[in-house]
Amino acid sequence: MPDTMTFTKKELRVVGTRPVRPDGVPKVTGLARFGADYSLPGMLWGRILRSPHAHARIRSIDTSKAQALRGVKAVMTSADLPEQKFEYVGPERVAVNFWHMTRSVMAREKVLFEGHPVAAVAATSKTIAEEALGLIEVDYEVLPHVIDVEDAMKPDAPLLFEDMITRGIEPAPDRPSNISKRIELKIGDVEAGFAAADEIVESSFKTAPVHQGYIEPQACLARFDTDGQAELWASSQGHFVIRALSARLLGMDIGNLRVYPAEIGGGFGGKNVPYVEPVALVLARKSGHPVKIVLSREEVFKGCGPAAGSIMTVKIGIKKDGRIVAAAGVFKFQAGAVPGSPVMNACMCAFSPYDIPNVRSVGYDVVSNRPKTAAYRAPGSPISAYAVESVIDMAAARISMDPLQFRLKNVAKPGTPTVWGPKHAHEGFAETIRALMQHPAYTTPLNKNQGRGVAAGYWFNNGGESSAAVHINEDGTVLVATGSSDLSGTRASLAMMAAETLGVEFDKVRPTVADTASIGYGHLSAGSRTTFATGIAVVEACKKVIGNLCARAAMIWDVNAEDVVWDGGCARYTGKKSGEFEPLSLKAIAVKKSVTGGPIVAEVSVNAGGVAPGFAAELCDVEVDPETGAVKVLRFVTAQDVGRAIHPSYVEGQLQGGAAQGIGWALNEEYIYDEAGRLTNAGFLDYRVPVASDLPRIETVLVEVPNPNHPFGVKGVGEANIVPSLAAVANAVSRAIGQRMTELPMSPPKILKAMNGGR
Amino acid sequence: MTKHHVTTTVNGDAVEFLCEAHETLLEVLRDGLGLTGTKEGCGTGDCGACSVTIDGRVVCSCLVLGVEAEGKAIQTIEGMAAGTRLHPLQRKFLEHAGLQCGICTPGILVAARSLLERNPDPTEEEVRYWLAGNLCRCTGYNKIIDAVLDAAREMRGADHA
Amino acid sequence: MTSERVASKGLSTGARCPARVIFTGDFSDRYTGSVREFEIEANNLRGVIKKLDERYPGLGERLEKETTVAIDGEIHEVDYSQPVRPGCEIFFIPKIEGG
Repeated sequence: MPDTMTFTKKELRVVGTRPVRPDGVPKVTGLARFGADYSLPGMLWGRILRSPHAHARIRSIDTSKAQALRGVKAVMTSADLPEQKFEYVGPERVAVNFWHMTRSVMAREKVLFEGHPVAAVAATSKTIAEEALGLIEVDYEVLPHVIDVEDAMKPDAPLLFEDMITRGIEPAPDRPSNISKRIELKIGDVEAGFAAADEIVESSFKTAPVHQGYIEPQACLARFDTDGQAELWASSQGHFVIRALSARLLGMDIGNLRVYPAEIGGGFGGKNVPYVEPVALVLARKSGHPVKIVLSREEVFKGCGPAAGSIMTVKIGIKKDGRIVAAAGVFKFQAGAVPGSPVMNACMCAFSPYDIPNVRSVGYDVVSNRPKTAAYRAPGSPISAYAVESVIDMAAARISMDPLQFRLKNVAKPGTPTVWGPKHAHEGFAETIRALMQHPAYTTPLNKNQGRGVAAGYWFNNGGESSAAVHINEDGTVLVATGSSDLSGTRASLAMMAAETLGVEFDKVRPTVADTASIGYGHLSAGSRTTFATGIAVVEACKKVIGNLCARAAMIWDVNAEDVVWDGGCARYTGKKSGEFEPLSLKAIAVKKSVTGGPIVAEVSVNAGGVAPGFAAELCDVEVDPETGAVKVLRFVTAQDVGRAIHPSYVEGQLQGGAAQGIGWALNEEYIYDEAGRLTNAGFLDYRVPVASDLPRIETVLVEVPNPNHPFGVKGVGEANIVPSLAAVANAVSRAIGQRMTELPMSPPKILKAMNGGR
Repeated sequence: MTKHHVTTTVNGDAVEFLCEAHETLLEVLRDGLGLTGTKEGCGTGDCGACSVTIDGRVVCSCLVLGVEAEGKAIQTIEGMAAGTRLHPLQRKFLEHAGLQCGICTPGILVAARSLLERNPDPTEEEVRYWLAGNLCRCTGYNKIIDAVLDAAREMRGADHA
Repeated sequence: MTSERVASKGLSTGARCPARVIFTGDFSDRYTGSVREFEIEANNLRGVIKKLDERYPGLGERLEKETTVAIDGEIHEVDYSQPVRPGCEIFFIPKIEGG
């Protein structure tokens, strides 16, 4: 049985094939340059001093001894960053409040979590920088702290912000709390829906915060000239966003900051925001030297946002025939030390796979003394899907219905309303569930202590702002430049779409990720948007270049441009004198560039819409060791509607990677705090991500229901795959042990306890 | 601080360097010798991104002191291709899409080469356990395992030829 | 949360088939006195936003900065040139950003 089943329709020449990625060789020879691999002459090493306390007021910081140490060239604190206005800017789901952001980069009045940066130094060696940190004297007034959501929501909980009044409640509460925001989304009449149900299933769940676990710690190199112009080499999911946020945090003009994209060693949402970049820039500005900062793994865990943990309650009401008639969910998310968990996404995605007439989603965004959460692969959706898909599984069992049949019976279709308002507009959900039902794994018998779980999940996918430039070189080769950071092979998918559109060979197209001074704005490589949105920009730029090439062919032939078309990589004359002109290849036209108008270039910027959501359905078989409670994943199948797989190998890789992260989330990964509010497992030994021997082969099913709004049908593939994984594993474990597991991670002690009736 | 003089071999070439007593081999390679192909993912020997071989044995270079390289033969990712010819493992990683972001790739290639030197015909399970010290967060390991097994196949074929 | 439907005559010019514009509850609570639905005649999103801004000064900028739009279920970035077909359903929803 091959790992991959593909449902493909129209054959294309390049799209759908599996060429070697154009940026591959430097990555297997060690020559690719990641964030930590850049150096400049006279470069200093920057290090960050971090809070040892979970919550404390900063009475004073004395940097004089550090400043006096030989080799120390600059010391910074929050006093070196301008104060920012307290204001939530932008959409509520992803609102930025620069007052909070500058305090996340460098603490001001208070430290809000262990690992919160309080000062930084730049010195001529790592050793001196480290020594200097020890000489900085911070006078803390330690305050009571709170770590977990339940505790943080209590009326007498220590407050992170003494004046924070919960948003989203009318009338506004008269007392401050740690609840930053309440959200409610609903459709229909939920109470009436439950009243009409034959069966009601309800359960509460808890998930631990987990880290994205990118293998490359945050790293950057900054230089700052005395005229105010600066350059930054950084590995991020969007160098234009790093530029914008860093410039704002430093109070400098965007035009004075040029950011070069380093290769990025994994992001998964964790590298959407700056951590080290503003610090390196300030140190470079103060010292007059280039400054490099590379975080340690401990700093990554303690200081760079993990995904939120949660407490959730989900209730659904069904008819005897399996129809879901009502659903309600309450989702309480840890935001970390600053408001802004992805709880809105959780509320929006939770019930989106299904056609349910009466739904209510309530969310709470709660601050506590943990690092501010960051996005992580379909942020919010896997968490709420874990609760919803667990309850769905319980409901199917209640009426003895096949769990995939149950989902298929209720699956959303075009026209189905969502809890957040609009109706679904795209096909693909039912097709994906059916594909999983047809997979041979679904009917393979299981043995003792084994269980099979299935789950489904929804993710929006993103469009948005992207830029691409296409240059035709004089020898007929093609350069494709975009402003989109490449995390996982998007240079390959973008070059393939360019080759397909232009009608040239794949290896004649060379894609690059251009710096912020060399191409128009590109938003983050996040939300599964790059191959979709930047792909549209690339294809549009190719079409514009084709128009240009046809006009030049007309000039060469001395005919009307309207009589020239582009077909099969050549300009062809279609006018009356047909037969007189041999088709002109791209190369043949390129050779004549000087006499036909000069360089052949097109740049296109788009704000891409028409995005289609991602949908995944997964199957997991596990075996639970009754002696130890350890779970072995025996088999994992992930089916996802990808629209169209441009490079199927990298699409499969997305599905496999998402599933692996989901398995880790379900079984092993968690942030563990001691009583003082300190993280006790800030390393890969104790924070256990899945290793090769933990996992089975992850089998993929690429369902291809094309998105009509994309030239090649792309839907975005990076995130939907992790959405069902937590629940698929949890449903499998629950069936294997005959007990519903309601808390992640399902570590061996928890499973043993459940198997022993709670003891 | 006094620096120590170390004479060693890196990728077959004689190399001398000065390092402080506490400096790791990883720091010496990256910051001193400019061989940044060896990556730091954790600094505590848990992720394998800094894997190199010393006298043929795979180690995490973040757990080895620079001074311990004295008189040893170090192999890093930069020495894996024979001049312009990629090692079969490097080629197979590209063909099988055995990398996404690529940060773990150098360490995994070094570790995998060491496996195939010891065991030219490993089972999938043997590959998975041998590489259990090398974290990859992008791929779910499938395509890495495929690439190693396929490279082993090709290398065995070449030996028989 | 108010979910009542309030016909907003001032924004429609008696057209045969205006677009139906809908806000999320949270958004309407904040900016439109809980009025959630409007009937607006316009050719593109610029026209929709302009008419809403005339009725609720400052609302246009909030919409541009804070929302993504779904037109008959198809999700688009808020872009002035986005065509608005007669009789279509337009939801302004919280902007979407992923990992």
